[in-house]
Amino acid sequence: MPNLRFTFVKSPVWGKTAEQLQHDVIQGVDPVTGKPVMQEIVDELTTPLSPEDSITRTIPQSAGPDRFGPDDAESLQRIFMEKRMTDYLPIVLPTEERVEAMLKGTSRKPDEVAGHMSPTPGVYENWSYTVRQIAVNAVMAGADPQYFPVILAIAAAGTEAISSSDNSFANAVVINGPIRDQIGLNYDIGALGPFSHANATIGRSYTLLSINGGNCGKVGETYMGVIGNPMNYANIIIAENEKLSPWQPFSVRHGHKPEESVVSVFQGWGLVSAKNSKYAVWSRDMNFAQELKNIANDQDQLFGIVAVLSPAVADYVKSEGYDSVEKLTDFLYQSQDESTPHFRSKAQINILVTGSSNNLYWDYGGMFLARSVSVDEWR
Amino acid sequence: MATLLRSAVLNPEAYRTVRDAAADAPAKAPSFSSLAARLDSLQGKTIYLVDTGFGGSGKFLDQVQAWFAERMPSVKTVRRRKTGNIFRDDTKDLWAEIKENGQAAILGVAG
Repeated sequence: MPNLRFTFVKSPVWGKTAEQLQHDVIQGVDPVTGKPVMQEIVDELTTPLSPEDSITRTIPQSAGPDRFGPDDAESLQRIFMEKRMTDYLPIVLPTEERVEAMLKGTSRKPDEVAGHMSPTPGVYENWSYTVRQIAVNAVMAGADPQYFPVILAIAAAGTEAISSSDNSFANAVVINGPIRDQIGLNYDIGALGPFSHANATIGRSYTLLSINGGNCGKVGETYMGVIGNPMNYANIIIAENEKLSPWQPFSVRHGHKPEESVVSVFQGWGLVSAKNSKYAVWSRDMNFAQELKNIANDQDQLFGIVAVLSPAVADYVKSEGYDSVEKLTDFLYQSQDESTPHFRSKAQINILVTGSSNNLYWDYGGMFLARSVSVDEWR
Repeated sequence: MATLLRSAVLNPEAYRTVRDAAADAPAKAPSFSSLAARLDSLQGKTIYLVDTGFGGSGKFLDQVQAWFAERMPSVKTVRRRKTGNIFRDDTKDLWAEIKENGQAAILGVAG
């Protein structure tokens, strides 16, 4: 509703005392218009509608021309950038030939609607996208056709990679099953870093699709992240190291068969190295499970915790008596004393294993599972 | 000067509305009503103060209510908390109640 009447107030309103709210916010001014807040609210309820306010309307459906050009490569790169269709890095120009080649990576029809997305569900209108449109974005990201089923599965999940929230959220995609080796996903040294074509371009495809397929990331319109998040460039792509993990893969623990290839999308504040925490102290008598618990109990409760353990750390935890993730989760969930558990449920605690065994590092962050989707259905 | 190679490329943007995956035709375009007519004055009116559930909404609306009580005492304010997810529609009959019993509503806050 474009002409909806609203007032901005000095932000944030949470965490303030009654006196601060009354003095600074209610008796303050709208930081955008400069008008006294309450006078503006009263005006918005009493000022007569303009002719523009009174008409009904429909939201335009057109997405613009189906192609740009013909033009030279430099000009086309500039068109895409100026239309805010990129991550401000050069793209692989999506010619018809390249898109047709990408479409060969799936048996699904090009005009099939594969999913829909919004910068924040329920707040903005949904945009929907076809297999072909996903292919265009995958080409732009530099992906290979063999990665396309993974990209399609992520698209089908419909979870925006770049939320409109001022929180500056980040997304992770956990990938399980045979597809990891089939397309060369890295789950060894540098698993979360830019060290594999598959990891890098799948992550970038997700970002570009969110921008062009979900209307995300339009600063000031559909993106308000206060600080922004560098993880939005290519998201956090986590192919689990199923060979070296002492436990069942994440997807199997959530009801899938080991031979199924699955993507599981997480959202939240991203991941940091556990070495950021004062509890990550290396000593002669390591107790990683307790270190995990200490860090988890210090974690904000809203999204729970995702812990990404290297295989060496996972082996340590198993040797401490946690021969299943379920046992570890039970331990992490129980309160340290008789009080209420820190997290609302065990589902808020998610354990993943990836990376190499060359040292005892691990990452964590406040992230929650949004959705899991079969990759095999998109082959 | 060599001629630069020119090519046409596909538009990566999607449809700006949800389409029915099972149907060939696009879904009906979303439409919306115009704003409700404004009041001549708030004096003597009933205004609903709706807490969306976003962080700080409740205490913020406490102060909005206090402002009306002090500055416009003829205005009756009614506090309600919208049900369901912060970003989604009310799951019960809040809007019907407001339509029945109130003349205006202030929803707060969005973040």
